[in-house]
Amino acid sequence: MTTIAKILCFVAAGLTLFAPRCRSQESHVLWSHQPLRESDFSSLRNASSTRIGANAIDDFVGARQFAKGLSMAPLADRPTLLRRVTYDLLGLPPSITQIDEFVNDPSPNAFQRVVDRLLASPHYGERWGRHWLDLVRYADTCGNSGDFPVPDAWRYRNYVIDALNADRPYDQFLAEQLAGDLLPVDSERRRRENITATGYLATSRRFGVEEKQFHLTIEDTITNLGQAFLGLSIQCARCHDHMFDEITQEDYYAFYGIFQSTRYAFPGTEVFPSPKDFVALVDADQLENVVRPYERQVKELELEIERLRLQTLRRPEGEERDEAVKAHEAAKQQRVELLMNAPRYPKAYAVTDLVGTNAQVHLQGDPLDLGDEVPRGFLSVFGDDQVTTDEAGSGRLQLSAWLFSPAVRPLTARVIVNRVWQHHFGKGIVQTPNDFGTQGRPPTHPELLDFLAGELIANDWSLKKLHRLILLSHVYRQATDKATAIPTDQVQRFDQIDPANDWLWKFTRRPLSAEELRDTVLLVSGKLNLDQPAGHDFPPEHEWKFGQHTPYMSHQQTRDRSVYLLRQRLKRNQFLEIFDAADPNVTTERRPQSTTSKQALWLMNNPVFHQHAEAFAERLLSAPGDDRDRFTLAHRLLFGRRPTRDELSASHVYIGQYAIAESSASRSQDMRRLEAWASYVRVLMSSNEFLYVE
Amino acid sequence: MLPTSDKPKPNRRQTIRSMLAGSVLLPAAVTEMLRGGHVAASELSPLRPRKPHFEGKAKSLILLYMSGGVSHIETFDPKPQLAVHAGEPAPQAAGPANHNVKHLLGPNWSFRPGGTCGTPVSDLFPHLRECMDDICLVRSMHSDHISHMEATLGIHTGSFSVKRPSLGAWVSYGLGTINQNLPSFVVLAPKLPYGGDQCWTADFLPAHHQGTRIVAGAEPIANLTPQDPTSIQQRELVFLQQMNRQHLSSRSTDSTLAARIQSFETAFGMQQEMPEIVDLSRETAETLALYDLQPGQTTGFGWQCLMARRMVERGVRFIELIDSGSDVPNNWDSHADIRNQHPPRAKDVDQPIAGLLKDLKRRGLLDETLVVWTTEFGRTPHDDGPQGRSHHPRAFSSWLAGAGVKGGMIYGQTDDLGYTVVDQEVHVHDFHATILHLLGFDHERLIYRHAGRDFRLTDVFGNVVYDLLA
Repeated sequence: MTTIAKILCFVAAGLTLFAPRCRSQESHVLWSHQPLRESDFSSLRNASSTRIGANAIDDFVGARQFAKGLSMAPLADRPTLLRRVTYDLLGLPPSITQIDEFVNDPSPNAFQRVVDRLLASPHYGERWGRHWLDLVRYADTCGNSGDFPVPDAWRYRNYVIDALNADRPYDQFLAEQLAGDLLPVDSERRRRENITATGYLATSRRFGVEEKQFHLTIEDTITNLGQAFLGLSIQCARCHDHMFDEITQEDYYAFYGIFQSTRYAFPGTEVFPSPKDFVALVDADQLENVVRPYERQVKELELEIERLRLQTLRRPEGEERDEAVKAHEAAKQQRVELLMNAPRYPKAYAVTDLVGTNAQVHLQGDPLDLGDEVPRGFLSVFGDDQVTTDEAGSGRLQLSAWLFSPAVRPLTARVIVNRVWQHHFGKGIVQTPNDFGTQGRPPTHPELLDFLAGELIANDWSLKKLHRLILLSHVYRQATDKATAIPTDQVQRFDQIDPANDWLWKFTRRPLSAEELRDTVLLVSGKLNLDQPAGHDFPPEHEWKFGQHTPYMSHQQTRDRSVYLLRQRLKRNQFLEIFDAADPNVTTERRPQSTTSKQALWLMNNPVFHQHAEAFAERLLSAPGDDRDRFTLAHRLLFGRRPTRDELSASHVYIGQYAIAESSASRSQDMRRLEAWASYVRVLMSSNEFLYVE
Repeated sequence: MLPTSDKPKPNRRQTIRSMLAGSVLLPAAVTEMLRGGHVAASELSPLRPRKPHFEGKAKSLILLYMSGGVSHIETFDPKPQLAVHAGEPAPQAAGPANHNVKHLLGPNWSFRPGGTCGTPVSDLFPHLRECMDDICLVRSMHSDHISHMEATLGIHTGSFSVKRPSLGAWVSYGLGTINQNLPSFVVLAPKLPYGGDQCWTADFLPAHHQGTRIVAGAEPIANLTPQDPTSIQQRELVFLQQMNRQHLSSRSTDSTLAARIQSFETAFGMQQEMPEIVDLSRETAETLALYDLQPGQTTGFGWQCLMARRMVERGVRFIELIDSGSDVPNNWDSHADIRNQHPPRAKDVDQPIAGLLKDLKRRGLLDETLVVWTTEFGRTPHDDGPQGRSHHPRAFSSWLAGAGVKGGMIYGQTDDLGYTVVDQEVHVHDFHATILHLLGFDHERLIYRHAGRDFRLTDVFGNVVYDLLA
């Protein structure tokens, strides 16, 4: 059907927003929904610009370059490459020993060894878990008017990190997050882990002063699931169909039924400040004898409190009401005592299944104006699969299977492969990673995308094998536009042809992320705690009185890696915000890379940064050797390379002049020396060479 | 999309060269700058001034936001009938059936005409009443949400559920700013409002357009205060820029590296200029008195208003002043006892706002500065607590003054009790569309592409209220 025909069909539907499906019979299937295509390697290789291809990826990229009159850059030098791949996989710089090892390794497999070592590091999950947490808008608070803290949210955060470290197959990883509570398990440990994984659903945004607007939370779930797992904007169909969109309003409510049949743990609201429906991570015995009796007690008391509250409203002013008020207050005090003496057991911010019910369409998106019932099911554009009618529960388990069914699998695989590629190269093969629909951009290298998706599936959805494939390509190991690597005239010529480097004729440098910056500064100053922490310090539950007037707000200083910093939905961490970290209210597919004067001010004046710089200076001064050795150590730690002769002399001059110019009689010589060195390392840590990865 | 400049787009190498031209890379230039010389606004600064869609009357904007919900029927929208029917059961009392029946609550303050136009204003705002000839009052505002957080988000961002770029960020995105040493969008808020810093977020717009919150005290902007003497900082910056220049010389096609070099210069400029802005020692006693300020006072709404004038003078594009926060009873949210809760709030802002209008006017700044006064919703004509009023998004009052606005007029009308708008309704989206129009923008064309579609402040709504325009 032509565009015009589509519009006519839309108009013919009575100009209402409830257009019937205008999908044409012979409709061409969107590229991202088509089966994966296999490529003919021999013809590729002949067309390629390069004969130095390390693996198939180079053939795909080379072929495109050849057609555009571009060619591949030579390999980056080893120190640069090591710094790049270490930050990319761990979010940390390489150590001096690691630099020495790699630079002096004569083996042709030297880089492969580095990649394998990094993929096996527990810090891999911290770096790549952060990418996933960006995507699923992870936060330690729930986002409603009081922004109630969720003291157990961290379990999901750590689950993501641990699962990636364990190279959990991607299909299983998604299934656990959507339906972990329903999956068969062979151990108690796995059962608890799977329940924790459904924190993905619980972490959906909450709204308002009471849960009257739960339809917005379900919308948030569907929005995130569509964008993060499928690269599709399903939420657009909440109110009505759209002319050019393949997703219909019925599709939206087919999904809606699934999540309406799911009980989300309740974090508390202004009107009802008690969390409930968290899932106890205990064995059956403890559940029966400890958890259930306690939960029953709380529930009964809360019903009683509500009954007494209503009584205070119904009674006329006077003695009778005063009595009712007193009784209400007494019951509330009883609740405080009950909570204070609550049994302690681990619990998860997770979901459980309810009896499955289908949703009715919300006409124009209004939850009070209901239309036809829609059977629970999935996106009709992939076929008319539905939650089977004998399914008693929500249908989440079937949803997770549907994502990997033959019709949908190509899209699911393309979306995740593209994300992995994006985090290695700065942009995806599809440059709109959350939008593989009609409004998104088509892939620059469609054959490569399909090849990688095919490899992922063939390797049982192992993400680590995918990393390995990508990182061992020549494309990844290319130099940036440094004049020492690519002749200046070539850089200029290619820059005219392809200024955005879509065709990958060089490696694009990128700024350190907020987390990488903070973690590195802490690391070199010797203060970074590299262990995995648990949760944060929150006030005890019986004290919670959060609401729109007094939302929860906190600022907690730690020395843990930045992925473990407290993330609040209402109050953002100032440092993280200044350096473009993800907003935990919405999915972040790709962080902005801003360069602002607020960042410069942080580097110039932030007192904590100054403290860390001083600690780093102390560390350098206590290192063996002379100043020349110290300059070298600082350069190697921060830039991953040795200083040039010019840099050494500039460093000597800087320290020397500082000592003369800033000398003050009131300070000891040692103090002055420390100040000079602190000043010196601040400059190094504010420099572009430090702040960017090449 | 934004109008682009007529000039041909420079190529990347030219871009980088001109970004670095006339910079403070050379020590001599840094010294020059330290003596107080202005850094020329780089033509390529991300906040450089841009032309709007058409010539707007307003060059800068001061938004006065009253937090918690101001009672329209006791400030700008007199309801004599409400006094007549006081004590009677409320005709439209909302809420669950088990709540006590609500009763109409008579207005607590009387109204008197102000200025030659005679626009009536209640005794809560005696000073403001003198300024009504400059004020265009809108009595027919309405909003979409009954809760503070959502309504506050709505008046700031046009979105009543999830956050979106705020009005100030859109204006910064559209117009850039005049003084490159200062942020384009400044927020003076002693406390966080409902919704916190989502009220001044740039959200998906580039981060430069985010509101910068300034608080009274030694460090108005985070990380503004040097930790060391200027001589040390100067030494560091010179060394830093030497390193960066060396680094850049072999990587000449990457404009982000040059932008980073530029950002340190801007930061240095801000560090020099901000303390000058907050230094009120050159303001006369008469001016301080106009704002109800004591010499040396650096808090209170009067201080915020005077800061706003000083920022307008120095080329800040958008200044928002928030009078209070989300903590009751220290804001306008008067559920229990409006008679005791509204007066201190009104007293805080009345004379300072009047002073600001007068001061802008006598300095010739009111002609090109738009001043907007609003809250997130009104308050019910019926009681809530014994002597208080509840939230009321269906009708409230806001006003505009200054550039491009018809002073001395009243627009819109509510019913006899102040429940609903009966004539010339102005939704929050219409209000935003009109403000953007005054700055030179067609609100339907000030758009930003994000997540596969075009976004704008007014979503798919909004009509400019042309009757308000001079």
